[in-house]
Amino acid sequence: MQSKKITSKMVIPVVTAVIAALFIYLGITKYGFWHEVRGPLPGFFPTIIGFALLGLSVLAFLGGRKEEGTTYPIENWYPALGVIGIMLATLVIGMLPSLALFVILWLKVYEKYNWKTTLVGLAIIMAIVIGAFVMWLGVPFPKGLIYNLIAY
Amino acid sequence: MENLQMLFMGFSVVLTLENVLVTMLGAVLGLIVGAMPGIGSLAGVALLLPLTYKFNPTTAIIMLGSLYYANMYGGSFSAILLNIPGDSPAVMTALDGYPMATKRNRPGQALFTANMSSFIGGLIGMLILTFMGPLLADLGLKFGPAEMTALLLVAMTSIGWLVGENPTKGVVLTMVGILLASMGMDTLTGSPRYDFGNMYLLGGIPFTPFVIGAVGFSQVLKLMEERNKKVEAHINQKLTIKGSMLTLHDFRRLLPPAIRSGFMGTFVGVLPGAGATTGAFLGYAAQKAFKSEEPLGSGAIEGIASCEAANNAAAAGSFAPLLALGIPGSGTGAVLLGGLMMWGLNPGPLLFSTNPDFAWGLISSLFLANLLTLMIALGIIPFLIKILTVPVKMLIPIITVVCVVGGYSTSNSMYGVIIMFLSGLFGYILDRNGYGVAPMLLAFVLAPLLESNMRKAFIISHGSLGIFFEKPISAFLIIVLFAIILTPVVKFVLRKAGVLKK
Repeated sequence: MQSKKITSKMVIPVVTAVIAALFIYLGITKYGFWHEVRGPLPGFFPTIIGFALLGLSVLAFLGGRKEEGTTYPIENWYPALGVIGIMLATLVIGMLPSLALFVILWLKVYEKYNWKTTLVGLAIIMAIVIGAFVMWLGVPFPKGLIYNLIAY
Repeated sequence: MENLQMLFMGFSVVLTLENVLVTMLGAVLGLIVGAMPGIGSLAGVALLLPLTYKFNPTTAIIMLGSLYYANMYGGSFSAILLNIPGDSPAVMTALDGYPMATKRNRPGQALFTANMSSFIGGLIGMLILTFMGPLLADLGLKFGPAEMTALLLVAMTSIGWLVGENPTKGVVLTMVGILLASMGMDTLTGSPRYDFGNMYLLGGIPFTPFVIGAVGFSQVLKLMEERNKKVEAHINQKLTIKGSMLTLHDFRRLLPPAIRSGFMGTFVGVLPGAGATTGAFLGYAAQKAFKSEEPLGSGAIEGIASCEAANNAAAAGSFAPLLALGIPGSGTGAVLLGGLMMWGLNPGPLLFSTNPDFAWGLISSLFLANLLTLMIALGIIPFLIKILTVPVKMLIPIITVVCVVGGYSTSNSMYGVIIMFLSGLFGYILDRNGYGVAPMLLAFVLAPLLESNMRKAFIISHGSLGIFFEKPISAFLIIVLFAIILTPVVKFVLRKAGVLKK
């Protein structure tokens, strides 16, 4: 018998089926489905949807077996690594410097733009962020550990 | 006729220099706020409410009305140019707007279509509001829990079935969206549910970071494959209003869906809680039943026109229950209602008789705001298209930063950024596997409304399904629902049996 390679098109329905099973289990055992007097309980709606999702996941799995698998080029994940870097750097130096650092590193180091283009790009992005979000909307961006150590 | 006279009286109130300038200011601010991912009309109106304190009540509410209205236009800008919807109704605009701007290289025409359709939809909504406002409000009240449940099921199922090539995948994601929305607090009792002991999940998954990630950040990951693509030369040649104009043929394609969605959107806007998002989704779903020159989802003018006209018409329609009954149709409507009450005005059946200058002034200002916003929006198209001339290499860090900032600014915490990040990865993986995220986003927005109405219906009927068939409106909608579900199944069976051609 020829074994079929497992692809993400088959994995996704399995994941949705697990999610459905979890919601059904918690809906019935923890949050309750129906009360004779009060009617539907907090678990009522998610449980019904969970059962529907479970059935559909089986159909999607069967359909996914017939489809070709897909690829995930490693390069496509770089912006995700960049966001993880921004989140970690925010803890230390704050969000605005982290964003500025990300833009500089991306444009200068990764894309190999010259300094002029890099700084123009940085200026435009930071003008949008500072002008709209900081000055107009007053969003209190985190300032980071270093700022807090110096300020307090 | 009396309504027409009152409308002209309203124009005499609005057409003062101060009110026109204020309407224009509201239109400009609304466009900016609408185009900014992560803000949306609710936050926009709430943030700008203090700006109106210095004006008299009529001027103040005119400004808020135009701000809300222009917001509906602005949401489509970032959806078309960057594939990041400015607000939830614009999720549908991105489906055809972004491909039309990029794959078909017609960004100016995509924006023009969105603006013209918004204008037409809004105009239809306002005309209906003018002549049938109180009547519509009464009709909206006929929609009890059973009718609302049936309507929302139609909206969700139709999108799940109709968007994308694989109906099963669409409905799977619809269900996933509903389950994700059920995390946090129970809609009726307020008790914690599916929070998994996490403090942040108690408040549920915030929509804005979720949509920014699922649509915007996943787009960044996809753009990595186009990093080295050069900016198309002909985009540079069309940086004028003339170069962005629609041809007569385009306009003929735009008009029927815009008119249809204008009527449908107004009606949806009147329903309590349904709002512009439901209007946009239903408008797009309905377009599937009609002929489109290009397939929907591939950059079709009909796709943009149907949802943009519907969401603006719904925004106009939502004023009917707000003014005639004092019932806000949406969160933004609730802020507007708060503003009215702050100035001592009590919306309700008596508003039109006790404060006619105010009520009709507001309706007239919507006409003015619609026209002014169209003019401003068309005027800035050449500047907006310049975004597409920015090389993809440069756009990637820009959109990434906008996603991070937009994700943070909705909750003022890193929780929003984490949600944006995770939903971005989730959206990217789903997209690579042929799962379009639009049904999930629609279901996520509408799930709380569906759940509360469904549970109320079952409480009223003591658990009997008969409530959905007893009243004509809900019975009709349930028939429509079954037709939507069964049509592809019947077609499939008939094709297999050889009765229908493949």
